[in-house]
Amino acid sequence: MREQLRTDLRVSLKQKRRGFAKGWYKFSRNLLSVLGLVILILIVLAALLAPYITPYPEHAKPYTNFKDAGKPPSTEHFFGTDRVGRDIFSRVIFGYRFSLTIGVVVLSLGVAPGVILGLIAGYHKGTWIETVIMRITDIFLAVPPLVLALAITAMLKPNLTNQMMAIALVWWPWYSRLVFALASSLRNEYFVREAELTGASKLHIMLKEILPNCLAPVMTKMTLDMGIVILLGATLSFIGLGVQPPKPGLGTMVAEGSKRLPGEWWGAIFPALAIVVVILAFNLVGDGLRDVFAVEEV
Amino acid sequence: MTDTILVVDKLKKYFPTKRGTVKAVDNISFSVATGETIGLVGESGSGKTTTAQCVIGIYPPTDGEILFKGQTISEAFSKRSKALKRDIRIVFQDPGSSLNPKRSIKQILSVPLKVHRVATKKDHLTKIKSLLAMVELPPDEYMYKYPQAIGGGEKQMVAIARALATNPSFVLLDEPTSALDVSVQGKIINLLMKLQQDLNLTYLFITHDLSLMRNVASRVAIMYLGKLCEIAPTVEFFQNPTHPYTKMLLSAIPVVSQEEKALKPTKIASRGEIPSPVNVPSGCSFHSRCSEKMDMCAQDDPVMVEIGEGHVTRCHLYQDTKVAASIEQEEGVHAQDPVDQPRGDG
Amino acid sequence: MKQNMSPLLDVRDLSVGFKIFEGYLSVLNGVELTLGEGERVGLVGETGCGKTTTVKSILRVLPMPPARIAGGEIFYRGKDILKMKRREVQTLRRMELTAIFQDPLMSLNPVFTVGTQLRDIVKDSLGASGKKLTKKQITARCIEALKETGMPDPERIMSNYPIQLSGGMRQRVCIAEALSTTAQLLLADEPTTNLDVTIQDQILRKLDELVEEKNTSVLMITHSLGVVMDLTQRLYIMYAGTMVEEGQTEELFARPLHPYSQGLMKSVPKLTGEGVSDGIPGRIPNYLDPPAGCRFHPRCEHTMPICQTEKPPLFNVENGRHVACFLYRS
Repeated sequence: MREQLRTDLRVSLKQKRRGFAKGWYKFSRNLLSVLGLVILILIVLAALLAPYITPYPEHAKPYTNFKDAGKPPSTEHFFGTDRVGRDIFSRVIFGYRFSLTIGVVVLSLGVAPGVILGLIAGYHKGTWIETVIMRITDIFLAVPPLVLALAITAMLKPNLTNQMMAIALVWWPWYSRLVFALASSLRNEYFVREAELTGASKLHIMLKEILPNCLAPVMTKMTLDMGIVILLGATLSFIGLGVQPPKPGLGTMVAEGSKRLPGEWWGAIFPALAIVVVILAFNLVGDGLRDVFAVEEV
Repeated sequence: MTDTILVVDKLKKYFPTKRGTVKAVDNISFSVATGETIGLVGESGSGKTTTAQCVIGIYPPTDGEILFKGQTISEAFSKRSKALKRDIRIVFQDPGSSLNPKRSIKQILSVPLKVHRVATKKDHLTKIKSLLAMVELPPDEYMYKYPQAIGGGEKQMVAIARALATNPSFVLLDEPTSALDVSVQGKIINLLMKLQQDLNLTYLFITHDLSLMRNVASRVAIMYLGKLCEIAPTVEFFQNPTHPYTKMLLSAIPVVSQEEKALKPTKIASRGEIPSPVNVPSGCSFHSRCSEKMDMCAQDDPVMVEIGEGHVTRCHLYQDTKVAASIEQEEGVHAQDPVDQPRGDG
Repeated sequence: MKQNMSPLLDVRDLSVGFKIFEGYLSVLNGVELTLGEGERVGLVGETGCGKTTTVKSILRVLPMPPARIAGGEIFYRGKDILKMKRREVQTLRRMELTAIFQDPLMSLNPVFTVGTQLRDIVKDSLGASGKKLTKKQITARCIEALKETGMPDPERIMSNYPIQLSGGMRQRVCIAEALSTTAQLLLADEPTTNLDVTIQDQILRKLDELVEEKNTSVLMITHSLGVVMDLTQRLYIMYAGTMVEEGQTEELFARPLHPYSQGLMKSVPKLTGEGVSDGIPGRIPNYLDPPAGCRFHPRCEHTMPICQTEKPPLFNVENGRHVACFLYRS
């Protein structure tokens, strides 16, 4: 029996490796997606290693040095300095930490409940269970994401944690709807019918038969969503309801820097560009992923 | 006297839709003996698939009864006992979608074993291997494969193995080889026949391929727009068709040899489109396409009459044959002795 | 094979492959096919033998990145289709070639009525031949075309959407579309596979009448032997990317020569009720690593050493009969 488990594991690892190699092949045919992936990896590494690779790590913490304030981009300060003398480049790298954290946490919090609810609703399509779940989903979807997130953060203390919770609350319905659509059509497939006729439990059918067939679109969406979530986080920070100064959130920095436009343009433009780059990277990777998961016909 | 394993009595299945009621199955009755292969044939809208779906429990009947081994099974699926789900199994038509593409064959086959506790977890593996061996697929090679990696014929073999995993007594085969190439079909059909002998199975075999039916079924029933037109033992069905629809269908079969051409009934040109089941013609539903139509056909719906040994037909042309037509409808047709297999005898 | 005139369509030694992740799929392996003017030829082969790839090559609709023409020519009226420029190919598709496919629901645009689609084609083909017609005349032509296919109530059908029609009716629309053009060559790829037997019968008979009338050349591709029996004069049997046998339809059915053809004929269940043969042992080859020599040799009971190394050409066995098998070498 243990012997069998080992064989099982060995075979499944081999299959997963092959699947991965094939996936990479398909992904790498898109040069732009590969570019996006490279940029993404660089950003993630930079964010992780921020304290060690930035020229002025201490500028990410409360720091003032009015002597160096308002300096334009130079070899010492790649992105220039802001109005209290902090190096913008270092702060941008640290700022990526917040952005990526927001993305990861929000999706972790929001995707799972959305997927589960969508799965249950899709499988029970036509019953009151579906109605209840999907109408609640509809209610959340009816409110524009930004407005809802605003409302929630405004009620609570504005900080990173609450910001993340607010966006997560706004985000789950999209997954619920996606998985609902997938699950309700999968439900009519012969292999699901067969499992039902055999007498398999509903739990088995939802988790083992339907869910594995929903994962690919969900993962693609998650990748594409990272960009939007980051943008939403930056927006909340921009209006003061997210990352609070003096912390180096990218949106926060844009807000501060925009007061100095157009004269000291570097204060706003570089953080904004940083946001654009990370979103673009995620989108390119997401597009590539979509091709990877696309069913091919020969 | 052989046992009757399944009795379908005045079965009706209607689907209410926006455009009207679809009378998918409209008052059919027949019975099946243990160990026989009853063939159900018909074109789109005939109701053959819906009939199978009612038997297996996908739909509860709108009216009428289904008795399996003497017990009524026609209530809602949720009321079906686990033992029943173990005993009646189905093999679907499309091998492409009857196996979950995200699960390996080992995982697929372990589901019925787990649900019905056919073997303990430890013995699952041995059982799966023996199932694969039973359908002549090398177990070690196929256990870990995913459906996309194997051909259509092999997928159907897995579907058959899955159906037989619970040691059932009755198997519904809904066009099991229609999606497959002819060179692969034979192996599967012969496998099914062999398994039927070895495991004493009863089959309800649905197909539109009459040439295949000729070689597989012991009795054939033909349906049109939800009603049974004719039921007869196979040889009789092909040599002596009585219902005009049967004749039309038989004469339309594409065959490959002159020998076979000679066996077909005189060419009755197919006419007309199959009416929609929402809009069934009045009287005998076939009258709009029938070449032997009489005046009464548009008014009255004929009843089943027995015109030979185990041979019944539902057509005004044969209404004179008086064998208590109404009683016949009451009790359903009696099953033919299954020893009378069509293979080998011309 | 008609010796008196050069063929309308002449596929010579066509080889086509696909580059995929796992390697290179060598699908078509030297396909040879000819079709004369007014001829009705069948192409029979099972799933994966390359018949659809052949059709797509003729129409030049293969997606060229994964697909690659590894060799050969396709001559239409003496000009190589594979070497034509895009403009020429478009004209070819518009004026000379026409096709019917297996799934009419995919061939018809779901958001336009039958009338709109049919008028589009009729207008285009009539316009191309220089005639200028009024809308009424075009519509009348369309209705006539539908009537010719045996469509009941054609006037009403004109304003229906494809989804409102039955499978058989949709296929009739496709036939009407296909035969309303000036095209001389009809490629029919499994046109009746999805249809009920009685409808299939009707449609095939109608198709037979129509092509007879218009003297259209037809290449009928199918996996169903029964279908080609009545409709075609000459037949090709295809296996794993090559033609293995060719001959007059009736002759071939009565006396199949290639081991694969023989196996195929045996596999078809017969009305005589003699039971079902086990089919042909083995599987179709993996195109990533196809067998050397004759691609059928691993499944053939008459394999000889030469079969494993050399690909048999189509030997001329007797008048018009060709078999790609070393058993018939002399």
